[in-house]
Amino acid sequence: PKITYNFLFKFLVIGSAGTGKSCLLHQFIENKFKQDSNHTIGVEFGSRVVNVGGKTVKLQIWDTAGQERFRSVTRSYYRGAAGALLVYDITSRETYNALTNWLTDARTLASPNIVIILCGNKKDLDADREVTFLEASRFAQENELMFLETSALTGENVEEAFLKCARTILNKIESGELDPERMGSGIQYGDASLRQLRQPRGSAAQTKQQCNC
Amino acid sequence: VNLRPGELLAHDSSVLGYLESASLMSGTLESLSGLGEDGSSVGSDSEINGLVIRRTDKYGFLGGTQYSEASEKEIRVDVARQREMKWLDMFSSWDKWILRRFQKVKLRCRKGIPSSLRAKAWQLLSNSSELLESNQGKFEELEREQGDPKWLDIIEKDLHRQFPFHEMFAARGGHGQQDLYRILKAYTIYRPDEGYCQAQAPVAAVLLMHMPAEQAFWCLVQICEKYLPGYYSAGLEAIQLDGEIFFSLLRRVCPMAYRHLKKFKIDPILYMTEWFMCIFSRTLPWSCVLRVWDMFFCEGVKVVFRVGLVLLKQMLGSVDKLREVQGMYETMERLRNIPTDTVKEDLLIQEVISLPVTESLIERECNIQVRKWRESRGELTHQPSRRLHGTRAIFEYKRRAASISSGGSFSFLGAPVPPPGPLRASSNLIHFTTANKQDIPLLGRHAGFIYCRLSFIDVCLCVYVPL
Repeated sequence: PKITYNFLFKFLVIGSAGTGKSCLLHQFIENKFKQDSNHTIGVEFGSRVVNVGGKTVKLQIWDTAGQERFRSVTRSYYRGAAGALLVYDITSRETYNALTNWLTDARTLASPNIVIILCGNKKDLDADREVTFLEASRFAQENELMFLETSALTGENVEEAFLKCARTILNKIESGELDPERMGSGIQYGDASLRQLRQPRGSAAQTKQQCNC
Repeated sequence: VNLRPGELLAHDSSVLGYLESASLMSGTLESLSGLGEDGSSVGSDSEINGLVIRRTDKYGFLGGTQYSEASEKEIRVDVARQREMKWLDMFSSWDKWILRRFQKVKLRCRKGIPSSLRAKAWQLLSNSSELLESNQGKFEELEREQGDPKWLDIIEKDLHRQFPFHEMFAARGGHGQQDLYRILKAYTIYRPDEGYCQAQAPVAAVLLMHMPAEQAFWCLVQICEKYLPGYYSAGLEAIQLDGEIFFSLLRRVCPMAYRHLKKFKIDPILYMTEWFMCIFSRTLPWSCVLRVWDMFFCEGVKVVFRVGLVLLKQMLGSVDKLREVQGMYETMERLRNIPTDTVKEDLLIQEVISLPVTESLIERECNIQVRKWRESRGELTHQPSRRLHGTRAIFEYKRRAASISSGGSFSFLGAPVPPPGPLRASSNLIHFTTANKQDIPLLGRHAGFIYCRLSFIDVCLCVYVPL
């Protein structure tokens, strides 16, 4: 059965190796923790249709390899992303220290307007914590990021992270701050919107192409 | 009588008892008491990802997408035996076979190397066995060194993420994971300039499923330096270049798939990175992985290109199939998750063999793409000419190196060449039972697993004593 949606957002999940990016994605899509996962080589995908503020939004999520070495190839996946989850591991300061680099990559390669939410993952491992909530939230504030601590294991805040990011993008569209029609915005109209917005001028072929979800 | 290794062990209760305790120590998930007829094991219930699985398949998988159902057709015993004899015959005068009858060797690799001899064959095909001989003690030496924490940290994070559904790697801190750590760490010390690339881990793990750590290490070295040089190096230029080569070969081989990918702006790097870097070990059903690796060791990277092309042809080569994947995302999803039941071993191998993509075509395309790269992106650090196309090229390279270094005598870089392997008589079972407990990671039901700790000769004797 076809699910219609108003918008399609391209999302990235980025951050250092072993921070739990793929597990966050898996938790968001399957609603369970992926115990036996491979590490990501290159890029993997997931998608889910969510309801945000009365609109149906399809999130198309690109999950990238975290090792520094793969950056030269993963960078080419950034193009045209509307949102990103920037992930570090609260039990590893090293992954936190790497955030600035990831952030620069995202803003220069995807779009300066990309909406980013910082995720301090592995919240369940509080005993091994190396990065405090306060420190990370200051970093988020300074860099104009949203911030949540998440646990891909328990599912805590995982859905919230994706939804928060999607909601912000939607607000920006509604306030006119983001223009979905601009090339490389990472936003596409879904068939539901197309019918309302673009039918008079949109071509039939394009409509057909975009409602394959 | 063709005794299976498992049966042999089952009759020897002392060995079994021994293995049982060894397994407890190594923390594998199974009880070792039940040996299935097909070489699988009936273990105590183990729970992985919520699935209760009792048996491994014949390759040691407990579940997951690469688990093989038992329905797979088996080669007849007499045929299997005949193949093994042929391979043993080749082993006994290996260099001669490579020099004079290479086409035959190639043909036999294409038919599939008998599983009992696969480990030895891979080592001979890649020449890693000779590398090991001429570097006695080197691996231990590497192991004694500290290693760079920068690499060790990331290797440690990856240990439990390699074939988590395979019994050898399922247990945290088990032998599989320990050995994986040993060889990946050793490589970063052996080649500090290269360090560790995450895509090396699955490759190393496949090798470890077949051979002990030291052998696996030298085999990995050959893959990284001779077969796929640059694939795992910083910058990943080699894989990107191969992506371009791959795409232009696709245009030739399957224009329909090419146009589709081009239309949706799907760069080769988006789907072929994992295929090529892991030599399809995460992509195909396991029986196919082994067949592909058999050919890869013999014929080199050409096989990787061909398998990738055949897969694209199968997935995007007809109007019907394209109709299902109208869109970039839909296409990507299909290419990144190939349903394993759609890949048929015989069909895949047949198509791979008959695809007209030769070494020289790849080289020609490589030159074109290098030129384009230089025009658009500047100088390459990677040197594509370092790549050797399989056994024959490695053999010739070795001979050239030998004649340069020692004025014509037939040795490899001055090191003494061991006599080509005539069967050494060794009392295999004694060897097995007296082996260090720690050294027996798993039950040797599958010939491949016995290999984990024994030389191939031991296994041959093990299996063929009754002959």
